Amino acid sequence: MQPVLQAKGLRFCYEADKPALDGVSLDIFAGERIAVLGPNGAGKSTLFLCLTGVLAPDGGEIVLHGQTVGRKGRKRLCEHVGVVFQNADDQIIASTVAAEVSFGPMNLRLPRDEVARRVDNALDYMDLQAFRARPPHDLSGGEKKRVTIADMLAMQSEVLLLDEPFASLDPAGSERLEAVLARLSDEGRTLLIATHDMDFALRWATRAVVFAGGSVLADGAPQAVLADDTVLRRAQLRRPLLMEVWDTLRERGLAPADAPCPVSAGALARLLDGRAD
Amino acid sequence: MAHGHAHGVRAVDRLAYRSGMRDWNAAFKTVLAAGTLGLCLAADRLAVSLCVIAACAALQRVCGRLPLRDYLGLLAVPLGFLLLGGLAVAVDLSAVPAGGWSLRLPWCCLCADADSVRFAAALVCKALGAVSALYLLALTTAAGEWVAVLRRAHLPALLCELLYLIYRFVFVLLDQSGRMRDAAGARLGWRDFRTACRSFGGMAGNLLVLALRRARVYDDAMAARGYDGALRFLEEDKPVRAAQVAGLLAFWAALLALAFL
Repeated sequence: MQPVLQAKGLRFCYEADKPALDGVSLDIFAGERIAVLGPNGAGKSTLFLCLTGVLAPDGGEIVLHGQTVGRKGRKRLCEHVGVVFQNADDQIIASTVAAEVSFGPMNLRLPRDEVARRVDNALDYMDLQAFRARPPHDLSGGEKKRVTIADMLAMQSEVLLLDEPFASLDPAGSERLEAVLARLSDEGRTLLIATHDMDFALRWATRAVVFAGGSVLADGAPQAVLADDTVLRRAQLRRPLLMEVWDTLRERGLAPADAPCPVSAGALARLLDGRAD
Repeated sequence: MAHGHAHGVRAVDRLAYRSGMRDWNAAFKTVLAAGTLGLCLAADRLAVSLCVIAACAALQRVCGRLPLRDYLGLLAVPLGFLLLGGLAVAVDLSAVPAGGWSLRLPWCCLCADADSVRFAAALVCKALGAVSALYLLALTTAAGEWVAVLRRAHLPALLCELLYLIYRFVFVLLDQSGRMRDAAGARLGWRDFRTACRSFGGMAGNLLVLALRRARVYDDAMAARGYDGALRFLEEDKPVRAAQVAGLLAFWAALLALAFL
């Protein structure tokens, strides 16, 4: 199967001789849910900006649907790859929610009716119709986050990159966002999420990519990657709480020794119930 | 100190977004406000000025559903300036008592007469009429829509985009400065004049650095959505209704009639 998007040996430096990306290679397949993990400054956001064509890599190449994206094609990457910034206030520029969501489609030079239709759909999807005429500075943090996601939905990008979307969301907002992410994934969209929430990564992702010092340290199934102590130590990451609980249960003989670690509290309960039967 | 100002900017903005006249066509409101302003200034008659003041207040109250209290509160600031200015026009300084009324002070006399007072009153009313006409636009139209009107009026694109981005930035930076002010306050940064000066200086310097950083991130965020040098947004259609045009013409006709009577 051909990857939707590939990074091949990407290099990028903000300052000379201090690479933010140091030879990053990554194949992204359609429909994947990838958790991008790593400490601050590991290169996650830089990779996102390169993949969406904002930053021009100093070395390596980006391949979209099997075709190498050249210098000229870079500007068109954003038609296929959308990025949701960590801080919503860094992204929102328009003076009403509807105008904000229309900014991307307008830049795609779509006809007016099509833009209006996409804006309507995106606002419906993120449950924002009631806010459409409101100014962004009137919205709460969670509402602004929904607006920034609607921004990208209106562009109908195949691949969505979300940079720490849960930062500064309250629990209700996080829950709501997770439901949206599940729905997007069910609809076949490819999602990459940079996050520090290990429990979310274990629960949600089909694949975990760990960054450290500008390169990929580990890449694989979340259960395997997050169980690797060397990787966790080098990337300064914490083990998901559920894994710790699972180890404790196994040590006490309360869980089967050969079963893989469940990824959610519900799955753990089902597994323990199954054992009790 | 910054707080009062912030409140003012936010108050006008909030009222504009809530106004009942918000769904009126922005270009129509601009014509209405500018035309009324022009008529009020050109007619230069007390009756016309009073009519404009009353009509604008009624329009804001009835169509804009703006509480009279808020409206009068917003008018109070310019009115204060106008009254002070009017006083200076009505009253003359002279060495000896002159005119109808005079007030003797140690070295000079404050003089006024019926004519000068009437002139000053007419002037204040004319200026207040002009302010009311401008409020008709400012309190009913979101800044973004107004920039779109300017763009269609062929104001250079660069200026339009600057206006638009500055408008958005004002609120982002107001938020930021509010947080910095509170953070400084939490460390006794405003306890006395010297400390306050230093805190304010630090805050202003930081705000500049933050604004520059923000500008760079904004640039990235706009590029990520295909920005190529021209800001484009979907503008909602707000057709002008025949009744509005009829009302506008009737209002102007009435003002003209008052002016020539």
